[in-house]
Parts: sequence; C-alpha cells; structure tokens
Amino acid sequence: MSDQPITSEPRLASSFAAATSSWLPAVILLLGTIVAWEAIVRIFAISSFIIPAPSEIGRSLVAQWGTLMQATLVTAAEILLGFVVSVVVGVAIALVIVRFDWLGRALYPLVVLFQNVPKVALAPIFILWFGYGLAPKIGLILVIAFFPVTLSMLAGMQSVDRSLLSLMNSVGASRTQILFRIRVPHSLPNLMAGTKIAATLSVIGAIVGEFAGASDGLGYVIQFASTQLDTALVFAALLLVSVLGIAFYYAAEILERIVVPWAPKFSHA
Amino acid sequence: MRIDTIRADGGKPAHIRHDDLISVKGVSVVYARQLVLQNIDLSVPKGSFVSLIGPSGCGKSTLLKVLAGLVEPTSGSVSIGGLSPVEAARKRMIGVVFQDANLLPWKNAVDNASMLLSIADKSLSRAELRARGQEMLELVGLGDAAHKRPNELSGGMRQRVAIARALALDPAVLLMDEPFGALDAITRDSMGQSLLEIWQRTGKTIVLVTHSIDEAIHLSRHVHALGIKPGRITGSIDIGLPYPRDLAVTEDPEFVRLVVQLRTMLRASHQPGDAS
Repeated sequence: MSDQPITSEPRLASSFAAATSSWLPAVILLLGTIVAWEAIVRIFAISSFIIPAPSEIGRSLVAQWGTLMQATLVTAAEILLGFVVSVVVGVAIALVIVRFDWLGRALYPLVVLFQNVPKVALAPIFILWFGYGLAPKIGLILVIAFFPVTLSMLAGMQSVDRSLLSLMNSVGASRTQILFRIRVPHSLPNLMAGTKIAATLSVIGAIVGEFAGASDGLGYVIQFASTQLDTALVFAALLLVSVLGIAFYYAAEILERIVVPWAPKFSHA
Repeated sequence: MRIDTIRADGGKPAHIRHDDLISVKGVSVVYARQLVLQNIDLSVPKGSFVSLIGPSGCGKSTLLKVLAGLVEPTSGSVSIGGLSPVEAARKRMIGVVFQDANLLPWKNAVDNASMLLSIADKSLSRAELRARGQEMLELVGLGDAAHKRPNELSGGMRQRVAIARALALDPAVLLMDEPFGALDAITRDSMGQSLLEIWQRTGKTIVLVTHSIDEAIHLSRHVHALGIKPGRITGSIDIGLPYPRDLAVTEDPEFVRLVVQLRTMLRASHQPGDAS
C-alpha cells in the first residue's frame, strides 16, 4: 500500500508564502483607508470631536499611553478571567447534560431558554448585586459566553458514530468510560470552535460590563472620554479594545492547534 | 417458504453438526412493526468461514448484530459456544468489524488496535496493551505503521487496524459487516487475500456479511443466501474449493460454476411473488 511520509518543512515554507500573498491585499486596503480618512478630515476640515483624523488618534494614544495601558490591563484581566470561567462552566454543563439523562432533560431546555434572554440587559442588575469591581464583569461574560461552549461540546459529544458505540458496548464499556474515552476527546474539535466564539464574546461582555458601571478599564475610558467630547481618545481606546479582541481570538486558535493537532484543519490560506 | 439447500461436497446438513460454535434456531426480529428476519436457522462450525449474502434490506446486517449481541431477537434462540451473544461478548469471544473502521483520530494505530482490549481487560498495563496492539498490527501486515494516526493511513490500512482491534480481544468468532464495502476493487482483493491468511494462521471462526458474490465464494467455506421481505435464508452452498486459495481461484471452472449457482439462487429469491 502506498503511503507518503508527511514532511512539514516544505509545507511550512509554502504556507508562509501563501499567507503573505493572501494578507497583502487586506493590508493595502487598510493603509489606503487610513490615508483617505486623514485626507477627507483635513480637506473638509471636519471637527475633531465628530471624526478625529488618524494622526490625532495617534497623538492621543501617545499622550494618554500610561492611562490607556493601565485600562487595557484591567480589561484584559476581566476578559481572561471571564473567558476561563465561561469555558469551565460551559464544559461542566455539557458534561452533566450528557452523563445524567434526567438532569440533562431538566437542564437543556432551560439553557436554551436562557440563551434568548437579552443578557446585555442583565448588566445593571449585576452591578446592583456585585458592585463596581471585577465580579459583575465576570458574571456578565459568563452569561454571554458559556452558551457556545456548551452547545459546541454537546454537538461534538453527541455525534459519535453509532457503530463505535456498539463496539464499546459489546466489550462492556460503562457510560463513564464511553464519556471520557470516546465522547469527550471526540468533542474537542467542536469545543475549540465554540471556545473561539466565547473568546470574542468575552471581549464584548467586558466592555458592556464596564459601560454599565466601572471606575476603570477601556470601556470606562470610552465612556468618560465621550462625555468630555475627547473623540480622539475614544478612538484610541477602541483601537486597543480591537487589539485585545484579536489577541484573544488568536490565543484561542493557538490553543486549538495544541489541543487537537489531529483534527482536520480548515485553513483560509 | 422453500429452503433450497445445495451442497457441493455432499456433507451432512449444517444444522446437525456437533462441532458448531454458533447455532441460531428459529430467530425472528421485528423492528418498527416490520418483520426484518423470519425464522432464521443457521449453524456455523468452529473454525469455519461463513458468508451471508443478499440484497440490501434482507436483514443480513441485522442477523450479524443478533450474533454480536447488539440486537435482541424477538423470538428464537442464539448460542455462541453455549452462551448467549451478550455473555459471549463479555467473555471476549466476539470481535466485530464494521464497514467504517471507526478508529479514534487522536490515537495512533497501535493504541487504536488495543483500545477495545483496554476496556475489556482492565488488568493489562500500558506496556502489555502496546505489545498486544503491535503484535496484532504485525498480523494484519501493518507492523511498521504503529505510530501513524488514522489520517495518515489509507482506507485499506484503516480497515486493517479495525481488524487488528477486533483480533486483539483474541475472540473465538470474528463478525464482519461488509468490512471491505467502502474500498476500491484492487484494495478489496488484497484485503480478502489477507483475511484468508489471517483466518488460516489464527483458526478463528469468521462470519462475513457481504453483497459481493465473488468475495463470498473466494473467501468462504459456506455461503448462505438471504432473501428480502421478510429477510430469511433462501439457500445455502458449500464451497468445496480447496484452501489455501489465492486470486487464481477466481478463474477455476468450479469457481465460475459456483458463481452461476449462487447468482441463480439470489435471483430466485428476488422474484416477485416469492415474497409473501
């Protein structure tokens, strides 16, 4: 039987080349947009509290660097903690639903029902309950981000082939054995996809939490700066929020490659 | 219902043999108010190679699942070495291979080969499991692919690992449900040949479900034809061709005669009016 050895070196080199050529158009478009933005603001002399020019945003970023970095750290900590709690709780709920029939039948409809509650609207209540610190942000991220984790892991655990389960049953495997030796590892590619969604939602949860009531963090900076009509600072903070979002997304993607190196990869390159 | 038993070697009818490992008596299966299998009588002598052949929907896979203890018959009895199929499976007497290899993508070939054994026998250490897995991979001709993951193996190689996984239990019976059904013709031939070699080296009793007339005659000692609506055994043929057989046997005049005979038998059970 023919079977080529799988070498990684040439693939790595070619994927780097492919990545550069696929990124290049996006980078050109981005730079073009920034240049056009700057030009339009200057030509039409648009007031900086309506639309600040990119150069002004840059100046604000440098001038307020210390404050912004401190706020970024606060928000990053909220996102990271909220994300971890969401994944842990999301996985636990999925395991309970699959392992215990009765509990699962009780829990699953409630989880789906809860998904339809506009959770952003819970932010003021969380502030009321937990105060202005870290706790209400973690709570808000949890209610926003656990659902894709639970749902994706459930889908993965329930899509195990029936004949594989037959084989396991034929040698007398227990339900717990089937759960941890087959269903859980089988669900990891799905779980990782859900985790990436949760990473993005965690950023939203943190900012919404800070909007509802905070004395620190990038969401607080955005709100405070907009009341001062310092739109350049609003944009500077927005830029940092976006960088955080991208960083967390790619961190989740790297985690995926470490956890499920055997899963089929869907590459954009 | 007419049971047409034609024997090439003029031996005793199968159901009165004393060295039967598997004995099925009057088994019927009703599923979703449909009679899937009707009054099946079947004996499989110890160490024999038996094929079940028939059109789609004849219940041949259901019959195999009954033997594996995965489907409970509605009536009738099944004995595997004097035990019920479920008891026999718990005593590791039954190895099953399906059309899909169903390997675990996160485990390499050797760990896949010992996966079921690790559940069936919890006393074995990791090293013992590995050794057993390696031994079985060598038996199926994959000794040097032990550390490859399923996505690095071809379809035929994956199916070989699935056979190794079943054999690792050291079962008395190997039940195979269209194991080569998803493979191309050339791979299929070489898999059949390997299966014959494995059978002769291990002395296992093999029950193979197939829809290939050539495959059934090439490999087995006894072939049972099944008809549809309801699923029942419509005829049996003993294949007298001597072992060891290789692919050249397919050009033997006796092989050609048996193909015609089996095809005629299958066609008869397909005719309108035959199903009542």
